[in-house]
Amino acid sequence: MNAPLRKSVRQKRGRGVAACWYGIARTATIDRAGAWAELDDGGTAKIITGVTEIGEGILTVLAQIAADELGIKPQDVTIGDNDTARSPEAAHAGATRQTYMIGNAVALACREARKRLIKELAQEWEISEDDIVCSNGMISTLDKTRCITISEAVELCKNRGVVPVGSGSFTANHTGLDPENGSGSPWQAYVYGAQVAEVEIDTETGEVQVLGVWAAHDVGRAVNPQGVEGQIEGGVVMAVGQTLMEDYKQVDGYPSTMNLAKYILPTSLDVPEVSSVIIEDPDPLSPLGVKGIGEPSMIPTAPAIINAIYDAVGVRIHSLPATPEKVLAALREKRDSADSVEKSAKSI
Amino acid sequence: MFYCDQYHVPQTLEEAFDLIQTNKGSYKVLAGATDLLPWAREGRGGDVNFESVIDISKITDMSEWQLQGDRISLGANVTIQQLLEDPFLRKHIPVMAKSAVWFADDQIREQATLGGNLVNASPAADATPPMLAMNAELTLQRKYKGKINQRKLPLHEFVTGPGKTRLEDGELVTRVECDSMPGYGSAFEKVGHRRSLVISTVCLAALVSLSDNGRKFEDVRLALGGVGPVPVRLHESESCLISKPVETELINKSADLAVKNVQSRTRQEYRREVVFNFVKRGIIEAMKDIETNYAEVDKNIKPRKNYG
Amino acid sequence: MANFDIQMTVNGRQVSQSVSPHLRLLDFLREELHWTGSKEGCGAGECGSCSVFVDGVLMKSCLMPVAKAQDTIIETIEGLEEQGKLNVLQQAFQKTGASQCGYCIPGMMMAATAALRANPHAGREEIKERLGGNICRCTGYQKIFEATELARDVMNGTLPDDLLKQENDEGPFIGSNSFRIDTSSKVTGSLKYAGDMVMPQMLHMQVLRSPYPHAEILEINTSAAEAMAGVEAVVTCNDVPGIDGFGVFTDDQPVLARGKVRYVGEAIAAVAAEDLVTAKKALKKIKVRYQQLPVITKPEDAIKTGATVIHEDVPDNIVMHIPIRKGNVDKVMAESDHVIEDTYYTQPVEHAYLEPEAGLAYLDADGTLVIQSPSQNITHHRHKLAKILDLPINRVRMIMSAVGGGFGGKEDMHYQGIMALAVLKCRRPIRYVFTREESIIASAKRHPFIIKYQLGLSRDGHIQASRIHMLSDAGAYNCSSEGVMRKAAILAAGPYAIENLIVDAIGVYTNNTPSGAMRTFGAMQSQFATECHLDLCAEKLKMDPVELRLMNFLKEGDETHTRQKLGSVSMLEVFNSALELADWEAGISNSRGSTRSDLGNPGNRPPCTLGAREFPQETVSAGQSA
Repeated sequence: MNAPLRKSVRQKRGRGVAACWYGIARTATIDRAGAWAELDDGGTAKIITGVTEIGEGILTVLAQIAADELGIKPQDVTIGDNDTARSPEAAHAGATRQTYMIGNAVALACREARKRLIKELAQEWEISEDDIVCSNGMISTLDKTRCITISEAVELCKNRGVVPVGSGSFTANHTGLDPENGSGSPWQAYVYGAQVAEVEIDTETGEVQVLGVWAAHDVGRAVNPQGVEGQIEGGVVMAVGQTLMEDYKQVDGYPSTMNLAKYILPTSLDVPEVSSVIIEDPDPLSPLGVKGIGEPSMIPTAPAIINAIYDAVGVRIHSLPATPEKVLAALREKRDSADSVEKSAKSI
Repeated sequence: MFYCDQYHVPQTLEEAFDLIQTNKGSYKVLAGATDLLPWAREGRGGDVNFESVIDISKITDMSEWQLQGDRISLGANVTIQQLLEDPFLRKHIPVMAKSAVWFADDQIREQATLGGNLVNASPAADATPPMLAMNAELTLQRKYKGKINQRKLPLHEFVTGPGKTRLEDGELVTRVECDSMPGYGSAFEKVGHRRSLVISTVCLAALVSLSDNGRKFEDVRLALGGVGPVPVRLHESESCLISKPVETELINKSADLAVKNVQSRTRQEYRREVVFNFVKRGIIEAMKDIETNYAEVDKNIKPRKNYG
Repeated sequence: MANFDIQMTVNGRQVSQSVSPHLRLLDFLREELHWTGSKEGCGAGECGSCSVFVDGVLMKSCLMPVAKAQDTIIETIEGLEEQGKLNVLQQAFQKTGASQCGYCIPGMMMAATAALRANPHAGREEIKERLGGNICRCTGYQKIFEATELARDVMNGTLPDDLLKQENDEGPFIGSNSFRIDTSSKVTGSLKYAGDMVMPQMLHMQVLRSPYPHAEILEINTSAAEAMAGVEAVVTCNDVPGIDGFGVFTDDQPVLARGKVRYVGEAIAAVAAEDLVTAKKALKKIKVRYQQLPVITKPEDAIKTGATVIHEDVPDNIVMHIPIRKGNVDKVMAESDHVIEDTYYTQPVEHAYLEPEAGLAYLDADGTLVIQSPSQNITHHRHKLAKILDLPINRVRMIMSAVGGGFGGKEDMHYQGIMALAVLKCRRPIRYVFTREESIIASAKRHPFIIKYQLGLSRDGHIQASRIHMLSDAGAYNCSSEGVMRKAAILAAGPYAIENLIVDAIGVYTNNTPSGAMRTFGAMQSQFATECHLDLCAEKLKMDPVELRLMNFLKEGDETHTRQKLGSVSMLEVFNSALELADWEAGISNSRGSTRSDLGNPGNRPPCTLGAREFPQETVSAGQSA
């Protein structure tokens, strides 16, 4: 969409940039996650893990991972999740850890289940396990001379008295920080991000509109690129809210913004167009190479906007949020000090 | 939480007044409900219990409008969305549509009524400034000794403070009359903390008509909201322009005169500066609305330095 | 209350029922008819999660007393499917990944439907205006706009409906945009969140919360509340059988206030009753006597000597201090060509997930306590609850219900403990649904920070030394403060190679709403300061802020601020990619907006001026009424 520039005294535009980094999974402590997998009848699979989907799309990510590991389709994967009495520990939805920790645990569990299936098939076919591959719902020899469906393979495996199940546990070996100097290895995987923001400022009201954000983030490996984009867009907009309008206020300990009329969130009319580019620098220490995106997506946005405001009108906002009141006050201060400089220059 | 023991939906004004009489001292009148329900919550009104709610929104007589000479008479139940969308209303009182597009959102506008917005008397009510500028007058009706009486009250006298009006017990605002504004250009300026569903920090309605081939102000109407206990008409700012030539200096002066109306307890300096800018911008936008070329005026107007 | 009879048509079915007159249309749909697709996000018309059609007009059902819907035709999200299949708009939401947590989606789908009904050719700006009453906290709206446009074009026949199909059905699936496996339940409103669930014999819980920021509790008298008909149980801290206390890092918060309240909104007692109205009325009959205490609201006051102590076992009010030390900052800073200092402030932030906290708790057939709630950390909550309830760990079962947004705010166990106490007392299922107001005051916020930043730089822009001091308001309880301080400190100096560095992150108790986990866990606060400060430094050094960053970025093999040797570092590639994507123009001055040539490129939206839609011209003659 083209946004024609308005040449005007009133509206001013500017751009800012900011970078960020972030660590994946729990900080400065060992992190772990477990999963169980079963290749099931009909060429389907069951994945059981204590994963907690909070809307980011982790269940879909795990289904995609399981599908590739087992040679089936995501829609053939059933994920039993989120029940401490029925599934292995995978711990919390946070720390940008789920794709990394649970994704890898699921991959490991699937590999074990697949190995069990292939072992039976190898004995049945009297060939080496290394010569058997699963993909696209089929299981075959490398040279494709023998090929059956995964559904048939599961049946065959069970007829031999074996249920193709597996389990996986993934560990992230983080170390604590030295209490004196803070040294330590808090994470094994780091991600990096950068964003550019373009703003338009109404110099008569102090309103800032963020018109565009261009974001680049390293996610290790994007399991579902659209989902990664969704996390970037959501993070950017949450940060736009924090940068321009959101402010939880208390007066002497009494909350004064206790509803959504007082606590202001961005609406569809307040959000920028967001363009993303996904960088893949795979993590070498884990089976899948994936890292994460949930949290870092919102880190560079606020400083990029604040830097853009400076670019547009030459005032630097030091405290969030940059409300119209703050921006207009800063513009006024700048004008006043320019005047006094002018005056003192004249008096000399 | 909102509780009530009885909920009445009268279809006529007669029925409504009968209900008011039967439930004397224990009733609550409700129109769109878009202010009352959010009010009946923690941190605001809390748990409120009304014995009888009288919902007047289905009284069809109060949903009509007519042109009466150079005035428009609107039923109090006209919704804000009708002000935005109805072609007749857009033509005759276009400033209301300009204000309505800023009013909450499409969905709330479908329910919220003009009468309700005026009676609710929020200092930041978006419908009040344009209505003040159009010399709105309210019809208040009440049943007394079996007879429906009515009185008329100008809007600026009706609203007396935040949430306070001259509405008396048993009275209903049934109609709102205002000038039809053919030939006027209009503008509505508003700033809050976002672009939709937002309460005005400052809002301004401006109406301008020109004479002498666009060289003179024939009439100017200005009213402000959000800057004090009640929305205000800017008579001084208006009279400094009426019958005067269209000049930058005068527009600046008019804007200057508006600044002292800021009486809010918070964000005063901000509001003063925005009021100045809005009056000036509102006048220019209203002039542009009558398709006169005021680019030159626009260019010459500079930000003011001091708003103290 | 005098019930009255209401009739309407809901999703094509005639409905006739006698109802209590205080119900809103939303309550009627959800609680009486069990059409739970429409959600309550705020109860005040501010979020649109409850949007439905009333006689073809989109309305917020939380603002509508049910009597207003008499004899109307209601359409909800559950009515959108066509012959058991997703309609075009639903498929478009699926295709673009427009639903994340899904809680706003029922209302959002209805608003998008309304936009396209009002104008089948609506452009993006008009669509945005028409969605202006519906808040989404997850998606940033982009994919919702895309979905609405895609549906518009497919319905108009300008795009083929093939575009609604999944792009890759063959695999490999890693790297492809597989459809979200939960989409269809989210775009049809069939997914049940905790507040949508019901069980036979279910009770409703309400919680009495502190009206004071700091007070001693002298007495809690629950007898009048307990005596009320319909009240099944009242619980206080006296009902805790085990070791009371929860938190993410230390267990400093009692399930229900014990002797003291430390913030406005802290839970004190709870009522379980046959219905919500009775539970609310019973709360008012609980009498609490308080002795108000001095209040600390500023972190800088909390660390003054002699300041009021908020937790008896933490006399200095410091929740956590994380130091990082490297090199010799004093010496190198003194020798730097430029030393640039400034202070940055960030505010407390509400998560504002659209789904307020809710839970359903009950006993399994074998007596195991079960709590279904949108908890972001069921594993941790299970451990805490077993200890609080003095139960073997396998007698506590936590099930995560569908989460309507979390962002860290649902990591704290703010109410599951209360529900557990009530269930063990009543031995009946209990549901508890927060109001928006309750959610805002009771739950943790993003930590506000005061960040003093000092950088020493060489004339050519190399960072020589960095000193960062961060003071943060942890509020009344620890929650995740310890971890937030740690992450803020580790990442504070940014992805830059710095040999000499002092970082301190200090979180302190106050009587404000507790601060806790929120997306980035302290890192956006500390890096906000870093990235603003670098631009300030570039200005002082008359450098391009991009150049300044490029020359200081961490590289493969560098040591981090915590002396960890890094493997591959993608920072440079990432940074250059963002600049390239934005078509960034290099330049020295930091305030050059008016002279830039890279503004207004196609990645921008037009500025919002309102008024994107067109209105029909007058066709009726003057004088006619509506």
